[in-house]
Amino acid sequence: MENLILQKDKLPELIEKLSSNHVLYGPTEENGFSLFKQISNFDELNLKYLLTRVPPKSLIFKQTETLFKFTPGRKGTVTSTEINEEKSLIFAIRPCDARSFKILDPVFEGNFEDPFYISKRKNTVLIGLTCNSPERNCFCTSFDDSPGSTENVDILFTDLDDRFYVEVVTEKGKNLIKSVEDIFEKSTKNDEDSKRNIVTKSVESITRKMDLDGLVPKLDKMFDHELWHNTAQKCIGCGICTYLCPTCHCFDMQDESSLREGARIRVWDSCMYPEYTQHASGHNPRAIRMSRVRNRVYHKFSYFPKNEDITACTGCGRCIDYCPVNIDIIDVIEEVGVISNE
Amino acid sequence: MTATETNSEMEEFEPNIIGFLCNWCSYAGADLAGTSRIQYPPNIKIIKVMCSGRVNPMYVVNALQQGADGVLIGGCHPGDCHYQHGNLLARRRMAILKNLLEFIGIDSRRVRMTWVSAAEGRKFAEVIKEVTEEIKKIGPMKDIQRVNEW
Amino acid sequence: MVDQQLLIDEVKKVVSRDDVKYVIGYKKGTTGFTISPAFAYSTEYADKFIFNPLCKKNLAAYPLLEDKLPLKREEKEDKRKIGIVAKGCDTRALVQIIQEKGLNREDLVIIGIPCSGVIDYKKITAMFPNETAYSTIEEEQGFYKITINGKVHEIAKEELLADHCTSCIAPNPVIYDVLIGEEVEPWDLEEHKNLDVLEEKDVGERWEYWKEHFDRCIRCYACREACPLCYCKECMADLLNPQWIRRSVNLSENTAWNIMRAYHLAGRCVGCGECESVCPVNIPLMELNKEIEKDVKNIFEYSAGMDSEEKPLFGTFRPDDPEEFIM
Ligand code: SF4
Ligand code: SF4
Ligand code: SF4
Ligand code: SF4
Ligand code: SF4
Repeated sequence: MENLILQKDKLPELIEKLSSNHVLYGPTEENGFSLFKQISNFDELNLKYLLTRVPPKSLIFKQTETLFKFTPGRKGTVTSTEINEEKSLIFAIRPCDARSFKILDPVFEGNFEDPFYISKRKNTVLIGLTCNSPERNCFCTSFDDSPGSTENVDILFTDLDDRFYVEVVTEKGKNLIKSVEDIFEKSTKNDEDSKRNIVTKSVESITRKMDLDGLVPKLDKMFDHELWHNTAQKCIGCGICTYLCPTCHCFDMQDESSLREGARIRVWDSCMYPEYTQHASGHNPRAIRMSRVRNRVYHKFSYFPKNEDITACTGCGRCIDYCPVNIDIIDVIEEVGVISNE
Repeated sequence: MTATETNSEMEEFEPNIIGFLCNWCSYAGADLAGTSRIQYPPNIKIIKVMCSGRVNPMYVVNALQQGADGVLIGGCHPGDCHYQHGNLLARRRMAILKNLLEFIGIDSRRVRMTWVSAAEGRKFAEVIKEVTEEIKKIGPMKDIQRVNEW
Repeated sequence: MVDQQLLIDEVKKVVSRDDVKYVIGYKKGTTGFTISPAFAYSTEYADKFIFNPLCKKNLAAYPLLEDKLPLKREEKEDKRKIGIVAKGCDTRALVQIIQEKGLNREDLVIIGIPCSGVIDYKKITAMFPNETAYSTIEEEQGFYKITINGKVHEIAKEELLADHCTSCIAPNPVIYDVLIGEEVEPWDLEEHKNLDVLEEKDVGERWEYWKEHFDRCIRCYACREACPLCYCKECMADLLNPQWIRRSVNLSENTAWNIMRAYHLAGRCVGCGECESVCPVNIPLMELNKEIEKDVKNIFEYSAGMDSEEKPLFGTFRPDDPEEFIM
């Protein structure tokens, strides 16, 4: 399908149409920050912010998921949860956040298939939005990604001031556009150039860079280095860096029940919490903050690339923005580089 | 909700009240009310604790989450506490808890405290009557109740 | 303004003492307006120490956070003191912990900083969303002078001042071993923002307000981890048997959690604002804390963290404590 143009004044119509047959999530503003919420109306949408505070992983890998229900006793039963096949759509997802699903896919669709994630992933169309003005801690370009990348979205919108340039990338995207084709116009070469210029400007404005060159072997040699202790000394173990990270996927499973019924639920957890690794015996293999901070770095930049051939970071910068004690992942990786060159 | 709906719901509403009563005074007072065949509303479900000072504020919150419309904490009169001053510690805690609940938007009349001695069966019955009446007026506690929506 | 050289000199003196392990303070962060906690083990490292109005973080949590590795055979525990740079509210947190016997006064060397209020990180980043660095930041008669890329911005203090500082009862350190510079004049106390508005509302309206906030809580417990006074070995929220709060994230459990957190800090919260400032979804936790603080003051004439010899609020009572609510 060729690329299209959507005049900005047609956006309300598009939102209305799409939300009539999809659960449509879009960024909304609330208490001075942005969150993805289900919307049905253009007025609820807020595109002022670059990234939502909580990443859109929460829409596919839900914070609380019911795995199955049970009733107790000798005649007890176990009922599996019905898989929700609802069609949904994430509007204005940024390219880095879209890329996070590529990183989460092998976790939930790999050796062990998670039906909840899979169905939501399959039934969700990702409509991306190019970042016209990246922020101070963006570094997606370090991962060969770009603020205007079409790679991980079904459709990509780019804001050209009075209109959106619309690139239809996948079959899923094509099918969606077909249903609302009449509100789009044809695009010209000129539009394509405008997008290219915007992306070039955005890429230039990204100042932070992470050096990933040879990082895996470097880390292999550094497991016992004092860097981890020094870094972790200021970590307060709050878990913000993992809860807000689009690629973090630690979870816990617990049974919740009242007298007559109960359910096994899955909830987000974090490797930054001591309880995460606490054994029933009381022993904790990651008993100190040093080992937890180190694990976060190794999981993202060593274990994950080894196992899945992709680094588990998208360069969104959330962990840098919101870590209350300035544990800056780019800085940590830079120190790894400096130390290995010594 | 229309006014008539509210009314009819209120008429049928029988509140669930959890009573945390201390072993030495209030529970004995409740016992006395029972053995003396003094009538009081059946809305209260009693949980015996060793001392009103044992009542962790989270017991109260948890009760409200699990379907209680009101919570009553009963202890010995000041000076009579079997553990000397457990009731006076409880008094401090509940004063702050009630204010906090009120500030969050949970009617603090749902959480009551009373001193009932082992000899005050009649007082016990009266307290239960009053608490039940009041909570009937406030209506059911739905705001923070667990929904078990799995 | 705190004299930077004086601070560095004092830190050097403390860190070179034989009975001191390290000194906790602040250094410049890696990006934007961030500040990083810093741990000086040597006099050279102390040169990095700073104190400016961005140094909001309460460092009082660190002495209790220290990673304790199992000792090797014949190895002795390092029992030397910890030095700590502390503003008014930070020292109140230390006093409170000492009162509760979480720390020993003798194990600390407190470098007190008279404080004239700190900048709210969320406010300053909202004002300069894309600045990657600043060169200096100074306070001058009701203004902050911030130099960014050679350009000086003068911003009225109240635009950036952290909300909790307007009701601070102790900007000067309550306890210290050395004081950097002169004590500051305490200022006219204001009630915490929004409390009066909330108190005016009726109970149902207040629930509507809090419901919207609690609904958004992602139960990361960052508010707990950041708080210097949340140092229980095992938090009630993490207990599994009995499980007081379910791990499911929904309004009921989130409300229970927020009541639990706020309540457990009654008479202990020193108003440092850490919890609210780390909350990733901007829940106004200080409104809860400050309301309780006010009640505790009004009902029991008690303020947390002012006197380490005092008994903890809930560990004591007065025969004439008010009881008009009791039947
Ligand atoms: S590690 Fe940090 S920068 Fe990387 S994806 Fe996670 S939050 Fe974003
Ligand atoms: S956000 Fe920072 S302080 Fe919190 S757990 Fe992560 S690294 Fe530690
Ligand atoms: S609360 Fe007081 S001591 Fe603490 S930062 Fe604010 S003004 Fe300074
Ligand atoms: S920091 Fe905020 S979101 Fe996290 S648990 Fe506390 S109140 Fe909830
Ligand atoms: S509750 Fe918040 S304001 Fe109070 S001491 Fe803890 S972190 Fe500071």
